Amino acid sequence: MTAAPQPGDTAARFNHPHLLGLHGLHRLDIETILDLADRYAGLARAGRRGPPRLKDKTVINLFFENSTRTMSSFEIAAKRLGADVANMAVAQSSVNKGETLIDTAMTLNAMKPDVIVIRHSASGGVKLLSRKVDCAVINAGDGTHEHPTQGLLDTLTIRRNKGQIEGLKVVICGDVVHSRVARSTTYALHHLGARVHLCGPKTLLPGDAHDWGAERVSPDFEMALDGADVVMMLRLQLERMDGAYLPSRREYFHFYGLTRDRLARAASDAIVMHPGPMNRGIEIESAIADGEQSVITQQVEMGVAVRMAVLDLLAGAAP
Amino acid sequence: MTALTITGARLLDPASGTDEIGGIMVVDGQISKVGPDVTAGSAMGGPVIDAKGLCLSPGLVDLRVKTGEPGEEHRETLATASAAAAAGGATTLVLMPDTRPVIGDAALVTHLRAPVPLHGSPTVRLEVAGALTVDLAGKAMAEMGLMAEAGAVFFSNGDEPVTDPVVLKRAMAYGASQGVLIASRPDTPALRGNGVMNSGGFAARLGLSGIPKEAEWIGAARDILLAEVTGCRLLLDQVSTPRTLDLVADAKARGVNVYASVAAHHLFFNEMDVGDYLTYCKVNPPFRSEADRLALVEGVKAGVIDAVVSAHDPQPPETKRLPISEASFGAAGLETTLSAMMSLVEAGHLSLLEALKPLTVTPADLIGRQQGRLAVGAPADLILFDPFAPWKCKREHLRSRSTNSPFDGRLLQGQVMRTILAGVTVFDRAAERAAAD
Repeated sequence: MTAAPQPGDTAARFNHPHLLGLHGLHRLDIETILDLADRYAGLARAGRRGPPRLKDKTVINLFFENSTRTMSSFEIAAKRLGADVANMAVAQSSVNKGETLIDTAMTLNAMKPDVIVIRHSASGGVKLLSRKVDCAVINAGDGTHEHPTQGLLDTLTIRRNKGQIEGLKVVICGDVVHSRVARSTTYALHHLGARVHLCGPKTLLPGDAHDWGAERVSPDFEMALDGADVVMMLRLQLERMDGAYLPSRREYFHFYGLTRDRLARAASDAIVMHPGPMNRGIEIESAIADGEQSVITQQVEMGVAVRMAVLDLLAGAAP
Repeated sequence: MTALTITGARLLDPASGTDEIGGIMVVDGQISKVGPDVTAGSAMGGPVIDAKGLCLSPGLVDLRVKTGEPGEEHRETLATASAAAAAGGATTLVLMPDTRPVIGDAALVTHLRAPVPLHGSPTVRLEVAGALTVDLAGKAMAEMGLMAEAGAVFFSNGDEPVTDPVVLKRAMAYGASQGVLIASRPDTPALRGNGVMNSGGFAARLGLSGIPKEAEWIGAARDILLAEVTGCRLLLDQVSTPRTLDLVADAKARGVNVYASVAAHHLFFNEMDVGDYLTYCKVNPPFRSEADRLALVEGVKAGVIDAVVSAHDPQPPETKRLPISEASFGAAGLETTLSAMMSLVEAGHLSLLEALKPLTVTPADLIGRQQGRLAVGAPADLILFDPFAPWKCKREHLRSRSTNSPFDGRLLQGQVMRTILAGVTVFDRAAERAAAD
């Protein structure tokens, strides 16, 4: 293992112009980000801001899809590193989306930002934009493709709680097929040696998930939970319920809701995660979401640290 | 402990291939011993019935029965259907979900499997097919998992297929993760149109619009392909053409979990029986040609068809005593299923065991139930019958509340003499005759 990086000495370690997804990254890339994020998390806990690594740099948050939480997390991360931040929530026009997207990119590029953080509802939309600009691009979620900083913050949360990722049994349950979180998190955990079990009704499971690096893909939640070290529940979008992909909310909770009885099948020190926002009483019982095994608020905390690390690695000043 | 012994019977058990003279002992509703060794001397108390050479087989497991309960009790109640079933030798009925309200939630499934005797106590085991889609509208999948936990044995969209393939595919994928069986009518409503009977020369001569076979072929092919893609277990609910059997046989050979049922009346009648615009012969799928009928019989013999059902569909005079194009589809069948099959035995098409297999053990296995076989430990749901007793079907003698039987006026072979449910006699023809005299 290489020496843990310190804030300020890492610029050369991450050799990518953008962070568009975790699928193509090397294990060392992921560890580099996590190690740096770990330091930033420590600084934040000590009540300190980060070093001014992004001083005089401009970060634009370009969100084509509403997300107050993720945008705030990126904004706080950038400001803690001293960056100037501009938030742009772009209302989506239903006509000529592609054209609007590229026009917007060209316009923003002309303003000479150093980083653009982009969320878009179309899979591949962020990659398309990254080809049209001269600065670093961070994918803050594109369609049902990837959400790399979420995958990283999940992995960091697990690593801090469990000490390591290698060999852990991680169950990810819910709407896997439509989840960019499930994809990014599975890639990251697989790179680091976890045994990922993807779980949900067949209508919400992809056919090719073994290619993602999942050890097992199964509709049997209770079997998946046996001995699990980590249980991650995914958010169920309202439009998937009520007959289209599932018969009803109550049937989903009956078979896939995380209850105390079900959680008892997991390891006694298992942690419970959720990318938020939660549907209490549909995918997770409130008592568990608020219980002592829950690390859901830690995930939010790690989100800022991970985003600081990514911003630093992509645009931080040379030491 | 309650006990019953039957001796001197011709034991017919399709599950084991048994066809021998012997007896059966029943203790507390379950078969405790069966075989040639069971004689009057081996009885452990309780009554001893001398079968006098009658055939003894498992009671019929009928996978397709409609009543009018709940909601249309003027057509049929669970009690009248039960009486008809007992007289016809059926001891397990699977109720279709197209009632009012539709059987679409766990509470109704639970209620129907153990009904409050509003209209008299049933004398058969009642099993339930839950709705595949909400209100059978074909738009949103119903609560299959919760209904399955309440005991629903499979899921069906009633008489109509789910026309939207996206809805059907998702329902099958969801059903596959629950491990359930889904039944689908192989049909294409747009092609069926306003058809009344089999498409062809006879329909043209009668001036009636036809139901083409391709309506069934396309439906069957689609359903089979979606079952293959999703891994769902599929029951093709009532097939009527040999080409559909080819599709089923081909899928089975590929290892797809596809099963097929046929209505007993399709093994007995052909399109010519519609004759003089007989509305009792208006059924969906329609009676096809004589060659088609014979091919269906072959399909039963070869095991391509897994279950023979009554497709019992009670229709009162107000929906049948109409011009045939306006009359409803459907035939009463609970009391004639066994006789229709015995007529095929008498004609030399099927052996007794071949005829009984799709009526008993195969359908019981499809719905995961232990009855349907003469095995130690199985529920003692039994019938004693004379396979060649001649009788004339008269609809005024039928026990159904609706007597829309296409067999009305026909000479039939084979009559049930006694029906036993969990060791208790629920129908005794001799006693009934004695009471009538």
